[in-house]
Amino acid sequence: MKNILFLLFLILILQSGLKAQVAVIVNKSVPQDTIKKTELLDFFTGDIKEWPDGKPVIVKELKAKSKVREAFYDYIGKNPSRMKSIWLKKMLSGEGDPPESITDDTAMVKKIETTPGAIGFVAKDKVSDGVKVLLFIQKD
Amino acid sequence: MKFYKVYLLLIISALNTPVLSQEGKGDLKIFGYFQNTLRQIYDEEDDQHSNSFSLQQLNVFFQKDIATNWRAFISIEFLNNFSSGRQWGAANLEEAWLRYRLSEKFNLKFGLLLPVFNNLNDIKNRTPLLPYITRPIVYETSFSEFFNVEQFTPGRAFVQAYGFLPFGNSAKFDYAVYLGNSPNINDNPEKGQTGIDTTSTFLAGGRIGLRYGDLKIGFSASRDNDNQLVPARDVFDLGGDTSRFQEVPRLRLGNDVQFHYDRFSLEGETIFYRLANESEVDIERFFYYLTLGYQHNEQLFAYVSYWYALEKFQLFENDVEKLTFKIPTVGLAYYLNDRIRLKAQYAVAIVHGDLNPPIAPSIDAKNNIHLFGIAASVFF
Repeated sequence: MKNILFLLFLILILQSGLKAQVAVIVNKSVPQDTIKKTELLDFFTGDIKEWPDGKPVIVKELKAKSKVREAFYDYIGKNPSRMKSIWLKKMLSGEGDPPESITDDTAMVKKIETTPGAIGFVAKDKVSDGVKVLLFIQKD
Repeated sequence: MKFYKVYLLLIISALNTPVLSQEGKGDLKIFGYFQNTLRQIYDEEDDQHSNSFSLQQLNVFFQKDIATNWRAFISIEFLNNFSSGRQWGAANLEEAWLRYRLSEKFNLKFGLLLPVFNNLNDIKNRTPLLPYITRPIVYETSFSEFFNVEQFTPGRAFVQAYGFLPFGNSAKFDYAVYLGNSPNINDNPEKGQTGIDTTSTFLAGGRIGLRYGDLKIGFSASRDNDNQLVPARDVFDLGGDTSRFQEVPRLRLGNDVQFHYDRFSLEGETIFYRLANESEVDIERFFYYLTLGYQHNEQLFAYVSYWYALEKFQLFENDVEKLTFKIPTVGLAYYLNDRIRLKAQYAVAIVHGDLNPPIAPSIDAKNNIHLFGIAASVFF
């Protein structure tokens, strides 16, 4: 019995370690309630810089390597090194600035709450009432 | 005394006006990068080794959003340990443009700019972006002293419209069209103002491309007229009608491809160049490169690449001269952090010259030049 409990415990630990649940969050001023994968990619690559109401899209990203960050970039289909080179290219061509890198989920939620037009991503369980969630991503 | 007070007040109030203060739509941003390089070169023909430390390139950018949708951008470039006192290297005003952005579908740049042509032309001097130390040969600006680097691609334009149009679910149609001068820039003060074009012809060109997922392909073209052969009149003492060397039509065609699959990437392009008129003047150039890359992790990128360049001249009947470069290369690039990229590269330049000049003995020479380099590209 002890062994079975230990095994269950181990499975739970492994599962929680493997699953990353990500929430794509925006400032409440953003005029949309859902987002498609292609839109998300366009915003994060800087191809599209305005929301449908013409206000600027302010992209924020998580600085530290984490399962949440990995799951997010997996979802949009670009690994972080590709994203870095896309941002650097935009910057060095005078076409756009790279997104501000935020240290952790709590700081990210606070930043999105207080920045009109901002979009970012955090772990699902860190979302607060001060932001709007456009999408949940789950990666096994 | 009163006069000085009034004068001081006037200066202070002038300094506070939005024009003189930095109160535009955004702050003035100053940033740039440099690449320090250690190269070891071994020339098989001369059996000689040489080592050189150099500041291969330094670029400084000034950028400011001057009003909603308007951005000004200036790039100043210094090459090869630039020193005007010692007459080393070169300093260039590479770009100075104003951009109006209506949306992603339409942008307009005015001023001195690097036109879009294939993959690399507009980013060839952005060393932190490129994994190479020695870039694919027609983009290696620091080689321009001994190879016709600037002939292969359009060097500058003065107005460019560009953007992309989305279609379907995730495909994008890219376009760029530009106008500029022919590169017949006058450097002789006796013939008028230096630094301006001396012909009435335009450079016109553009690129159309398609992006779909991780695949990107494009086709480029440019057309202008050139006077590069005019000095040949004097060198070969031609006399008579030499108008065939003036304003010779020049066409460049290119295509490019980029593809990413998981950690692998494939990137390449071709350029076909023709400078020809109705008589015997005919210059062809051809270039391609192909790079296979592997992104090991966020920091480390490894690649193998092959570059080929051909220059073929025919200025007189039955006289064809050829110069070819074949350059296989391997390299690594490693992001030490977001600001510093370390690089290592080994290349062998297999050079073959088959020259039959009418006023000198023929040359059929082959040589291999080995280039090993390490570099740090620093973004600030």
